[in-house]
Amino acid sequence: MPSNKLRVGGSAMAVLGVLGILVLHWMVFFWTPTEASMGIIQRIFYIHVPSAWVAFFAFGIVALCGAVYLWLGDERLDHAAASAAEGGMVFTTIVLLTGPLWGRIAWGTYWTWEPRLTLTLLLWFIYLGYFLVRSSTENPERGKRFSAVVGIVGALDIPLIHLSVLWFRSLHPTPVVVKPEGPTLHPDMLLTLAVGLISFTLLFLGVFLQRYTLAVATHLAAVREREARS
Amino acid sequence: MTYLSQIYAIVWKDLLLEFRTRERIAAMGAFAVLAGILFNFSMDQTVVRPQDIAAGLIWMTLVFGGLLGIGRTFHLEAQDGAFQGVLTSPAPKDAIYIGKITANFVLLYIVALLVVGIFTLFFGLDLGDHPGMLALALALGSLGFVALGTLFSAVSSSTHMGETLLPILVFPLLVPMIIYGVSATSRLLADRPIADVAGNLRMLGAFAVLAVGAGAVMFRFVVEE
Repeated sequence: MPSNKLRVGGSAMAVLGVLGILVLHWMVFFWTPTEASMGIIQRIFYIHVPSAWVAFFAFGIVALCGAVYLWLGDERLDHAAASAAEGGMVFTTIVLLTGPLWGRIAWGTYWTWEPRLTLTLLLWFIYLGYFLVRSSTENPERGKRFSAVVGIVGALDIPLIHLSVLWFRSLHPTPVVVKPEGPTLHPDMLLTLAVGLISFTLLFLGVFLQRYTLAVATHLAAVREREARS
Repeated sequence: MTYLSQIYAIVWKDLLLEFRTRERIAAMGAFAVLAGILFNFSMDQTVVRPQDIAAGLIWMTLVFGGLLGIGRTFHLEAQDGAFQGVLTSPAPKDAIYIGKITANFVLLYIVALLVVGIFTLFFGLDLGDHPGMLALALALGSLGFVALGTLFSAVSSSTHMGETLLPILVFPLLVPMIIYGVSATSRLLADRPIADVAGNLRMLGAFAVLAVGAGAVMFRFVVEE
């Protein structure tokens, strides 16, 4: 069965991802050099940036699978979109938790209307809307279509939101905002970041595949139960 | 029937219904006036000049008030399965959507002009040298808002959360409209030259075009049974 292969593959990726994240933590705490101007707090960057990448990557899957689901009507695409959305929401939450912790020290404030912060917060709410529509329809088929629409329209609007918040900030320059990325990254830091990006992506893809096979199995079980009853 | 006459039929039906019941326009209009009254008591006019913060208040009143009316776009037709009749008519789904947003746009634009009128009356707002540009900014913003609001109103009215779901779905997507709309309005109210608002108006227009286009394509997937 292909879904069995996917599950095993998913487990392998998730385990690799977790191992990678353990290595990443060792690198973050003991190996990578401390950044000169921000000090020790900058090390959260290696967790924060990979989570942000995964959060937006997942939303790409949500929108893409949602669009093709509406087009072809294949159930599996909806399972994939919903699984990616669940993973994406978890990683968006990680971004929103780690960002302010870093911002408190680096910027002197937990929250600022910095474009990327604002966009991530809005992304979190788009994910929230995605799940709310899904769970609040009596006919699950409609819920699937509604959530796909939310994902697609959200993905279309995100570039415009980003543009507008960037532009908004240029209107009101905030005092002394340190940009997270330095002009050039030390090679050791770059390596740590690369390990972070790879491990987080592996973990996400692993969990995503697991969640996807679970969704497919649940769906099949429901179909069989319905057939048995009729 | 040609495409345009199909759209026209929907617009005419919706506006006639609204003209006879006056349900949504009355709710939105009353909201606008009452919000103006509450704003009066919620700011100390010896500390802030209404002229300086009016732009933000106008757009927020429009969004909150508009959501009241737009959220009920499909309310009347949901009864007795009347909307099923509309859907089974030969008109394509995107014609129905364009018709719906046109009717909603007319209603919302009336409310938008009313809101500006209320602010002028209550707070002695000076509309600046280019009231036509202000009207254009409000029109472009209203169009984008109505396009997204109508699409998601069709979504939320088919869920058991109903209209409470609408703000959660629509507000995150409205950020560009609010930013460019408020910026254009505050610049116009501050008598800045037209060149300063041209960029804002273009972005408001882009938002409206994107919203209408996305809505016209997506609407069929929302209303399909």
